[in-house]
Amino acid sequence: MKKKNKIFRQTVLLVLLSVFVLSVFTACGSKGHAVTDKASLTGARVGVQIGTTGDTDVSALKHGTKVQRFDKGADAINTLKQGKLDAVVIDGEVAKAFVKQNPDLKILEEPFETEEYAGVIAKDNTELLDKVNKAMQELQDEGILDKLKDTYINEKGDYHYKEKVTSGDTLVMASSIDFPPYEYFDNGSSTPVGFDVEMAYAIADKLGMKLEIQNIQFDAIINAVNSGKADIGFSGFTVTEERKKSINFTSNYMETQQAIIVQKGGAGNGQSFGDKLYNSFIKDHRFNYLLSGLVNTIIITIFAVLIGVVLGFLIALVRVTHDKNGNLKVLNFIAKLYLTIVRGTPMMIQLLIIYFVIFASVDISKVLVAIIAFGLNSAAYQAENFRSGIMAVDAGQFEAGHALGLKYGTVMTSIILPQAVKNVLPAIANEFISLLKETSISGYIGLQDLTQGGMIIRSITYEAMIPLLAVAVIYLVIVLILTWLVGKLEKALRKNER
Amino acid sequence: MSDVIMHVEKLTKSFGDHIVLKDIDLDITKGEVISIIGPSGCGKSTFVRCLDLLEKPDSGHIIFDGTDITDPKTDTAQVLPKIGMVFQSFNLFNNMTVKDNITFAPVHHGIMSKPEADKKALELLDWVGLTDKADDYPSRLSGGQKQRAAIARSLAMNPDIMLMDEPTSALDPEIVGEVLGIIRKLADSGMTMVIVTHDMSFAKEVSDRVLFIDETRIMESGTPEEVFEHTKNERLQKFLAAVMQ
Repeated sequence: MKKKNKIFRQTVLLVLLSVFVLSVFTACGSKGHAVTDKASLTGARVGVQIGTTGDTDVSALKHGTKVQRFDKGADAINTLKQGKLDAVVIDGEVAKAFVKQNPDLKILEEPFETEEYAGVIAKDNTELLDKVNKAMQELQDEGILDKLKDTYINEKGDYHYKEKVTSGDTLVMASSIDFPPYEYFDNGSSTPVGFDVEMAYAIADKLGMKLEIQNIQFDAIINAVNSGKADIGFSGFTVTEERKKSINFTSNYMETQQAIIVQKGGAGNGQSFGDKLYNSFIKDHRFNYLLSGLVNTIIITIFAVLIGVVLGFLIALVRVTHDKNGNLKVLNFIAKLYLTIVRGTPMMIQLLIIYFVIFASVDISKVLVAIIAFGLNSAAYQAENFRSGIMAVDAGQFEAGHALGLKYGTVMTSIILPQAVKNVLPAIANEFISLLKETSISGYIGLQDLTQGGMIIRSITYEAMIPLLAVAVIYLVIVLILTWLVGKLEKALRKNER
Repeated sequence: MSDVIMHVEKLTKSFGDHIVLKDIDLDITKGEVISIIGPSGCGKSTFVRCLDLLEKPDSGHIIFDGTDITDPKTDTAQVLPKIGMVFQSFNLFNNMTVKDNITFAPVHHGIMSKPEADKKALELLDWVGLTDKADDYPSRLSGGQKQRAAIARSLAMNPDIMLMDEPTSALDPEIVGEVLGIIRKLADSGMTMVIVTHDMSFAKEVSDRVLFIDETRIMESGTPEEVFEHTKNERLQKFLAAVMQ
């Protein structure tokens, strides 16, 4: 009872502390250089989205311009609102959407630069390129592209394209679904919408193919297309000479501008805490992003733990057998190599390699990829858990078994392992807890886990604190429940021994 | 010759560059009780552990009941159960009850059925005075009880010889007696035994022969009287003077 109180108090303290720290940081934004036109960007603190033309061209500005590069436009906007940036350079239509949501921001009249959008297709896939270009020409001629532009860009009319082909060959499109009005989530659903999305459905129909959309980080899309993970990428790609070296562009479908967003000055955020809560979770059932993400997180964790336990156990057996009597030299070498590589490289890199390299040309569910990647990673740590558990059973029992004429395998399975497993159960359960938290990087392969669910809400509301804190609290609650269960398990095991 | 149960010939053992035992010869006769004494680190424990192949001898032969157990072709799993071993640290199987510790090996080897083994275990536990501990796990036993259970476990295989590596060294002084009592009983029953010990008065009382191992060899060998009372060996005299204080 006393312990429970302690955990509760610690939790409350932790949450309060994090809220305090967050609000201090939020309040501490300092005012810098005022940006009023393109020329005054020089020397200012400017936010851009990684891999966009704004990124390349703002980074080329000299004279002390401090460029901050963000994965998501919404992060840049947030940072601007906190006063840590003087301006954000971002696609014109995206800028309009952001400013509409944030009355305290404005777009400067003078654009940063003009650019053209096109889709991307792998260099060697000229057959698809020709077909897509032909389809785009037809859509242009039929006026469908103009109607979509009216709906999404000019905001007049309510034309929407309905997909027709729903079976047969699949056209896989990669897109970073956080770029309104081109591609974004709306109405709390996990179905992407936007100009690019509907155009892609129209193109797929022209090709007689069914469209499948993969949500992938913007800077990973070209990779995904080149590796065959996706056939085509539509994600507001600006045509640049640099990109042409690694990828083929389709015909242009949009001419647009990179706009400069700045703060109106002085204006506060204008949203009450209750509004923020409502916008983050209730409106359009946005809590569904967290729920479906949580389901994926739990599925990945449970199956990865299973792989980790089974594989880790086998690796530990190989290692211990080799240490004890010198057998299994080759297997031991492989096991050691495996442990060295897995424990010597970051989990995130392993996940990316498994998805983009090893399974590059295989059509496989992302959840399955994540289960394999996290399972293989966890196995290395579980192996060491099991090994230390086996080593902790005193060698004397091996000797006693030997003296009674029992074979190594018999002693191992009937005497040592039952004790070792009992020793390591708590460590294995703890690995389960760390794995749960580690799966939060699943978003890097475009998998919508709990963390990614929070990110999607943030990309819709441009409000970081509420979804991030909510995600943190959900993880914390699950971890506390698991910790409590591990504690019970440990107690039960200790009781059993007496 | 027919009375010799174990014949050791030119046994040599070293750990790395350190030679522990060199060219040891020994004949152990049926029913004989041999105590091995000597200073710490002299190799007396290594010697009995070699006899059970817990240490692999570098060279030499151990002929047990007509079989050369150092021959790589020998199936040691058949022979080793006939050589009982009692450890300083008991080495009971902690995941089994006392009774299961005793019955596991005989049943596994197919020497006895489970009911037979259970019956035998209860007899042995009665013999070592642990009937009421049959269903307890080792963690609930005192050191002396553990060692008595370990002796019962060895006896369940009907060994022809019992090796004991400092069987009372890990015990508190007041419970040494209960284990020595069992070993004495075993000696009286005619069991062949080799006991490594620090307990000189017990060695004197129970042994037919005492070996003094020092400087990689058996330096002195004889009846307890010869070794303890009339030795002319200077090192042995020094050793005895030191331990008898």
